[in-house]
Amino acid sequence: MSNYVGEPNPRTMFLEGPFGAGKTTFAVETLFAWLEADIPPEQIVITVPQRTLARRYILALRSVDRPASGDVSIRTLNGLAQDMVDIYWPVVAPEYGFSDPELAPRYLTIETAQYVIGRFVDDAVERGEFEAIKATPQVIARQIIDNMGKAALMDVPYTAIPELLTQAWGPQRARKRVLAYQTAGQIAEQYRTYCLKNRLLDYALQIELFVDLLKKPPIRERFYGQYSYIIADHVEEEAALMHDLLVEWTNRAEGMLVVADWDGGFRVFLGAAPEGIDRLREACDGVMTMGDSLIPEPALKALQQEIAHGIKPEAVEPVETDELGYSFAFHNFYPQMLDWVADKIAWLVDEEGVPPREIAVLAPFLSDALLFSLTYKIEKRGVLTLSHRPSRALRDEPAARTLLTLTALAHPHWGQMPPQPDVADALAQAIGDLDPVRAQLLTKIVYRPNSDPPLTSFDNIKPEMQARITYRAGQLYDDLRFWLLEDYPQRYEGQTAPLDHFFSLLFGEVLSQAGYGFHNSATAGRVTAELVESARKFRQSLYSEGASLDAIGNRYFDIVRQGLLSALYVASWRDELADAVFIAPAYTFLLRNRPVDVQFWLDVGSTGWWERLDQPLTHPYVLSRTWPQERIWQDSDEVEHQRDMLWKITQGLVRRARRHIYLGISDLGEQGFEQRGPLLTVFQGILGRHPQTPDVDNTDHE
Amino acid sequence: MNSGPFAHLNQEPKLPRVLPESPVEAGTLLPPAFQFSQKTLQDYVDCARRFQLNTTQGIRWPAAESEPIDEVEHFMEQGAQFHLLVQRYLNGVDQELLKPADPLLARWWQHFLENPPPDLPEAKRIPEVMLSMPVGAQRLVARFDLVALDPGERIVIADWKTSRSRPQRQDLAARMQTRIYPFVMVEAGHHLFGGAIKPEQVEMIYWFAEHPTRPERFTYDSRQHQANHTLITGLIDDILGRDPESIWPLTDERRHCRYCVYRSLCERGVKAGRLDSGTDDLDPTLAAGDATLGFDLDDVDEIAF
Ligand code: SF4
Repeated sequence: MSNYVGEPNPRTMFLEGPFGAGKTTFAVETLFAWLEADIPPEQIVITVPQRTLARRYILALRSVDRPASGDVSIRTLNGLAQDMVDIYWPVVAPEYGFSDPELAPRYLTIETAQYVIGRFVDDAVERGEFEAIKATPQVIARQIIDNMGKAALMDVPYTAIPELLTQAWGPQRARKRVLAYQTAGQIAEQYRTYCLKNRLLDYALQIELFVDLLKKPPIRERFYGQYSYIIADHVEEEAALMHDLLVEWTNRAEGMLVVADWDGGFRVFLGAAPEGIDRLREACDGVMTMGDSLIPEPALKALQQEIAHGIKPEAVEPVETDELGYSFAFHNFYPQMLDWVADKIAWLVDEEGVPPREIAVLAPFLSDALLFSLTYKIEKRGVLTLSHRPSRALRDEPAARTLLTLTALAHPHWGQMPPQPDVADALAQAIGDLDPVRAQLLTKIVYRPNSDPPLTSFDNIKPEMQARITYRAGQLYDDLRFWLLEDYPQRYEGQTAPLDHFFSLLFGEVLSQAGYGFHNSATAGRVTAELVESARKFRQSLYSEGASLDAIGNRYFDIVRQGLLSALYVASWRDELADAVFIAPAYTFLLRNRPVDVQFWLDVGSTGWWERLDQPLTHPYVLSRTWPQERIWQDSDEVEHQRDMLWKITQGLVRRARRHIYLGISDLGEQGFEQRGPLLTVFQGILGRHPQTPDVDNTDHE
Repeated sequence: MNSGPFAHLNQEPKLPRVLPESPVEAGTLLPPAFQFSQKTLQDYVDCARRFQLNTTQGIRWPAAESEPIDEVEHFMEQGAQFHLLVQRYLNGVDQELLKPADPLLARWWQHFLENPPPDLPEAKRIPEVMLSMPVGAQRLVARFDLVALDPGERIVIADWKTSRSRPQRQDLAARMQTRIYPFVMVEAGHHLFGGAIKPEQVEMIYWFAEHPTRPERFTYDSRQHQANHTLITGLIDDILGRDPESIWPLTDERRHCRYCVYRSLCERGVKAGRLDSGTDDLDPTLAAGDATLGFDLDDVDEIAF
């Protein structure tokens, strides 16, 4: 159902409604109507706030039903900025103060940026300037980088951030925090100077350069002129800067469709400015509203209204019906709740015929431990799972640990000789049939951490011991040892090669050869590839500093070993499409836009559904164009925004469920504390109005 | 609404058939939204197993492709920079500002300015064009460094090669790129050309940064177009007819294995082939600067900041 208000033949249209109302379907129809009308595909652009949201468009554009033709661009804001900075770097770089602008810039990833800024943060931490903040240097670094990005997306100078935060903090609160803001500001300046000097482009600089380029009339004209038909989807998740671009496009485009989701705004922490969509609505010739979500069944729609009433009773009436499309179960302890979830899933799949792919298990946060036990419990019941979660440290992957240990052995001058158990573990991983017991035995005999070389030959071992270890394993060990201590160093004439090259050669020439542990292992290949890639980026972003390759390698080695680099696990398309239960943090699920039949909400009593992350040096709401300068952020603001976020999350989740929602409630949380979060209160209210009995736990667990 | 960009609101919606993203069945071979390209088809022609490992199974295998790695890396990087430089130039960036500092890049750039590809149509020059077309149940995509055309008359596809070596004409002629680019242009470039394109109106030119005075030109005709159609559909049918669960044939031409990252997995050697000892048609730097094909379904977001 839709209604339209505006010009009879609009050039630009604003389309809004809840999730599941058919907005993107209409956008795809519009795209194909344009193509059918012979609009050159090169003149069409589709913008999305993040790549996952482009899925529907990519699938449609690559359908075999689409005739032969040109390419339609799909871009994020960052993509638009990168296109421009790539082309116009020689124009903008000298003006912006980069050193040697005739050389190519180096793009920083979040991790390399964090590393570059890290040295300035460490100095300040040592001087005690962040004492008021309970956060690790990595967290501080990340928040300063966040602030610079947010400033760029607001189109204000990053140097204004300390003042904006200070004003919102107010004079009544502890002054130490203000000093921390100022120190953070100074670090941002040091870091920026360093980036300019070394031609390092982080996210904030890319956006700033882009904005700068758009101030040059011929470039501006070229930018806006390259596309005359625009589809901007999920504008509620876009930053203020993107809204500026889109408003400008509404004046110029020959056809433009702007699509907004009512309950969105989940990316506020990444700079989204959902309030900015009003400007876009006003700028369009007409507004079409698709007011009804086609996804949930009536019982879930009723639940949605009940939750809405629970959160904002002043705005929404409760419902009459007791048919509310959810069940719940109380448990004293967390593991019991997980068992209930796993049993219920097995029952749904086995007895009710629900495909695993139609089930999602959602939690406010997903720790490694929670993910592990949940996956274990569900898979033990014969149901596959797929998870999307914050990545874990790269060094926790066995293949990465093996490579790191072997790296230390091949670089004895770093003085980082690993402990014996690590060497034994690495040999067991590296050598195909060497079991852990024999690996320990071998290590005990051949490993001399204080000698040069640190590994002795298998040939020198007594024959009976050789036999125990096996000659085959011994030969493989000797070949590995020879490669590490002789072949490789000789090849580089005693110099250190870049560490990424070392990983790559060690992997290709030894560890993945027949007989070695990585030979047929796709996982080892993936993890090594990640290590190679991240070491390369690290080297390339630091190379300009003039440090030796050896020193760079050594530093990289250190940060991986300290667990500061995460593995970026990307599920393959086969995994993605597998018939598996999806386990994810609620936000991740929301931004994937894939409804399911059944959802499980874990840990409904947790305050995690409500509280935002404690980020002392940044602020998603204050660092926004709409926050009035000089206004102090009060506790009431906090409550108001949290209530708003809880509303968005719960409404968003219910709209992405077709049939039923199960609530898992445990008295004690994952960490063993009692749980009484606001979402629980909302459901207690619902139970008060519409009594129902808890779901029975009909399975015994030892 | 009866006119303008939303006139379709009054009509029956015409949506492409997008297959529902159902669970993968055992026999599923290719990722959703997969498109064939010159690179993937060249992989298949060189070695079916390589195509299988790379494309259908997505196995990441970070061994060295060729040695010495640092030299290859430098060549590849400068190749990408060169492509960008030309793109800047064609986008109207002031030539005064385009002065590369790297000596290798500076040399190539000088070559380009002094000896650009000859006899390119003048009316329209479009850098970085991407076209795609359906071939049976799949799509085929091509991305061109430069398309130069006199609308309705002549269209030239230019491709920059920054490889160390200059392959022989017959080797280039046999490359999938030489077969696919003109084919896709004829089938999918009509909107650029202002009407249907006859194969005879298309030409392809390889311009070599190291050998700027010796570009290689390939004219095109209907006979070749038909032959390319047969070849491409044949290859795609062949791929789609394979059993995804079995191991696809390893190439008989072991020279490919020297420059293939999977050589340890296939037990086809230990060390990567050397850059200076490869035959010209296998020179891995031939692919330097080849553009990626836009973003894909499994791309991840570099979280904004
Ligand atoms: S190593 Fe040889 S056989 Fe194996 S995939 Fe590569 S080219 Fe094919």
